Amino acid sequence: MADIKNKKIKRRSQWDEIWRRLRKNTGAMIGMAIVFVMVAVACSVDLIYDYDTEIIAQDIPNRYLEPCAEYWFGTDALGRDVFKRVVYGAKYSLLIGFMATVVSTAIALVLGSAAGYFGGKVDNLIMRFCDIWGAVPGLMLGMIIVSLLGPSIWNLIIAMGLGGISGKSRTVRAAVLTVRNSEYVESARSIGMPEWKIILKYILPNCMSPIIVAVTLGVAADIISASSLSFLGLGVQAPAPEWGAMLTSARENLRYYPYLAIFPGLAIMVTVLALNMFGDGLRDAMDPKLRR
Amino acid sequence: MAENMKNENLALDIQNLTIHYEVDGDIVEAVNDVSLQLENGKTLGLVGETGAGKTSTALAILKMIPDPPGIIKSGSITVCGHDVMKASKKELHAIRGKDVSMIFQDPMTSLNPVLTVGEQIAESVQLHEKGMSKSAALDRAMEMLETVGIPRERAFDYPHQFSGGMKQRVVIAIALACNPKLLLADEPTTALDVTIQAQVLDLMRKLREEYKMSMVMITHDLGIVAEVCDEVAVMYAGRIVERGTLREVFKNTKHPYTEGLFNSLPNPRDRKAELIPIPGLMPDPANLPQGCAFAPRCPYATEACTKAQPQPRKFSDTHTVLCTAYDDAGFHIRRNHNG
Amino acid sequence: MGRYVLKRLLMMIPVFIGVSLIVYCICGSNTRPILMKVGGEDMTLEEEAELKHELGFDQPILIRYVKYMGGMIRGDLGKSHITGDDVLESFLQTFPLTMKVAMSSVLVAILISLPLGIVSALKRGTLTDNASMVVALLGLSIPNFWFGLMMILLFALNLRWLPSVGYKQGIKSLILPAITIGTGMTARLTRQTRSSMLDVLRADYLRTARAKGVSESRVILHHALRNALIPIIATLGGQIAATLAGASVTETVFALPGVGRLVVNAINDMDVNMVTGCVTLKAMVTSVVMLLVDFLFALVDPRIKAQFAKGGKKNG
Repeated sequence: MADIKNKKIKRRSQWDEIWRRLRKNTGAMIGMAIVFVMVAVACSVDLIYDYDTEIIAQDIPNRYLEPCAEYWFGTDALGRDVFKRVVYGAKYSLLIGFMATVVSTAIALVLGSAAGYFGGKVDNLIMRFCDIWGAVPGLMLGMIIVSLLGPSIWNLIIAMGLGGISGKSRTVRAAVLTVRNSEYVESARSIGMPEWKIILKYILPNCMSPIIVAVTLGVAADIISASSLSFLGLGVQAPAPEWGAMLTSARENLRYYPYLAIFPGLAIMVTVLALNMFGDGLRDAMDPKLRR
Repeated sequence: MAENMKNENLALDIQNLTIHYEVDGDIVEAVNDVSLQLENGKTLGLVGETGAGKTSTALAILKMIPDPPGIIKSGSITVCGHDVMKASKKELHAIRGKDVSMIFQDPMTSLNPVLTVGEQIAESVQLHEKGMSKSAALDRAMEMLETVGIPRERAFDYPHQFSGGMKQRVVIAIALACNPKLLLADEPTTALDVTIQAQVLDLMRKLREEYKMSMVMITHDLGIVAEVCDEVAVMYAGRIVERGTLREVFKNTKHPYTEGLFNSLPNPRDRKAELIPIPGLMPDPANLPQGCAFAPRCPYATEACTKAQPQPRKFSDTHTVLCTAYDDAGFHIRRNHNG
Repeated sequence: MGRYVLKRLLMMIPVFIGVSLIVYCICGSNTRPILMKVGGEDMTLEEEAELKHELGFDQPILIRYVKYMGGMIRGDLGKSHITGDDVLESFLQTFPLTMKVAMSSVLVAILISLPLGIVSALKRGTLTDNASMVVALLGLSIPNFWFGLMMILLFALNLRWLPSVGYKQGIKSLILPAITIGTGMTARLTRQTRSSMLDVLRADYLRTARAKGVSESRVILHHALRNALIPIIATLGGQIAATLAGASVTETVFALPGVGRLVVNAINDMDVNMVTGCVTLKAMVTSVVMLLVDFLFALVDPRIKAQFAKGGKKNG
């Protein structure tokens, strides 16, 4: 009895331990707080602002106002409030970043765990596919797919998601390989458990940490790539206030109205920085090497 | 204590050494008030469980305690006439490898994977023999390889091309390359197969005689101690609890912990004898009890034991024991009775 | 050794075929932008059909790919549908510039990140370490197109030290782009140097070296760094490849006539020959860089050298 109780405590404390270490990491906690605030803002922007009248409505008499008490970040070439647009833009970047990562992670979990678990021919086939798919530079692949499908948020998500498959598949495969031959997997196999069940119940839960870290950092990378595509005109289109797209128009008047270029970029940087800080902290908290 | 002051004949003289590790605000008292002396040409066995502070003591002799988190709180260490605690960095570099060498526990990780074994031995030679050419140093390295029983042409091989036992021979060759006066061997055979253990041990014993070295053999294996050592010091939770000649400690055991160590060994002469393990675990070195650290596991412990640190008690010029129980004149441990 | 290299080179062939297939099929499926550009917005349906036939766009995509591939084997990457320029020629004209920018940023990144990473690892947890890690994290998080804009704003428009865009002033025009690309690379490399140094600094063989009387500086530079170098080289290789492949954004910001710009413009027009040719060539350059990186590994690590000599398989 006592033994069983002890084990339960131990198992819970593994996650407690990660959380305890994470909490001690100031950078990670700041990052997490910023991410939470950002997500909350992104979810509620449509309640705060009316898209048609406050975000994209033009107000030519008030164009190119420098940042002031009323317009914190100034107004753009069409007299729109840059602050509101930057706040509203959180929705696009976070939605695209998270969804693209969800797409690539979902595919990578299937490919990577199949390659890692079954090995042999399956592994070879999947890995050669990843070699080829990964040999097309990710941003290029995204650009080509978007220009085929046409620029829109969902196409951007698909393009970014497909672009991230090969890297994440490799991560998942490597993680699966570390636990594939462990005894508890052997024993599950020996009682005739179906293979998909072994993967779902025994393999993936035991090799989550590197995957979780890759996903967190992946969101950050996807946010940058998505705004890069929008910046190149291949993503979210004007007048939608996507940060990268806002920079495209700001660039034309960089000399005279530099403030238009400062804030959207700063917004991208803060978001990505927060995700990176959180991801770094998560990795340090989960890294068994530092666990001693 | 007076007789232990500057003695020309001492290879190693440690006085009141205390080492702390400070991790996350916890203070781990790894070594507590340890004093040790070793005469030239003698071999001392430093015995104890993992975490007893043996390796920390040895690293302190080379002033190689990783700092942070380790701090040598107090004490003095004199090796072959050098005051290690006061030595400059330059002097330390000259002492390490030349006067004092060290062999580490795990040969698999003790060699640099990107350098040939010849380079690694020759480096030591070149550092300590000023003006020696590279080729002369390599020649010397090859000689050393032969000394430890490896063909000289293997000097150009990399560590990954050697087996564990061979690697440990290379490590020994590195350590002995400059004729050190004192060799610190930190569990040199623990990571090896039993048959290889005996070979390596034989080699070490042979070389110690050839080179007329003093040696500190750190181990938890009393069998090894019986084979190679002249003197024994038993460490428990950072303190030396019993110290004496091999004969005194083995035949006239005084400390309950030493007794426990012997009782948990299988006896080849009486295969049916029951093994008696020491109950419990060593206390957390970050949270040592106020009194004797062994008291919670000691079958003879009285209330007095848990109250204050035991004081050293001499049974002969060489035999010292750290145990409060002997305050009671009639106290003896069971082992001695059974003979 | 020679056999191993040959094997590696042969293994690249299926990758190039795969890459060109993927890119050609995605890019070639939508021919409208080309038809619109060549034939004009207001052509009639008949005219469009005729143009389609003329350009061979009425055939199935796979047939078109096989034809393209046939040319590729003979070294003919086709001509741009829009400008009529030869693809290989256009690539060779623009590649040196991309290469120049990439290499100068690599040089800057190595010079800054190696010392910084080593010092951070040695002084782990100190102010120096924390400060450089914060800076590295910032460098990692900054979107390079925005960073480029900010550099233009500061150094070209306000301080007027350097030209803002274009490639009219030679080396001077390349300084800002090189810094822009180099920042992310420096950040990644610094972090990698620090973390692999930290791994190595725990190693037992450094203790062996210290016990021999090796001085601390030699322990770090001779014993530790060589071991730490392997993951650092891997990161560096990845970064060089990524830079050669992904400089399109930076080149757009600075209006530099490099390969990146060439491809972005081609993608905008869905100029299938140009896109496929350039992306495949880029993949080739990347593969060659990776092969060179593996050679470097072998120079540094005897265990990998042994694999090379045996002609053995690379793991993973």
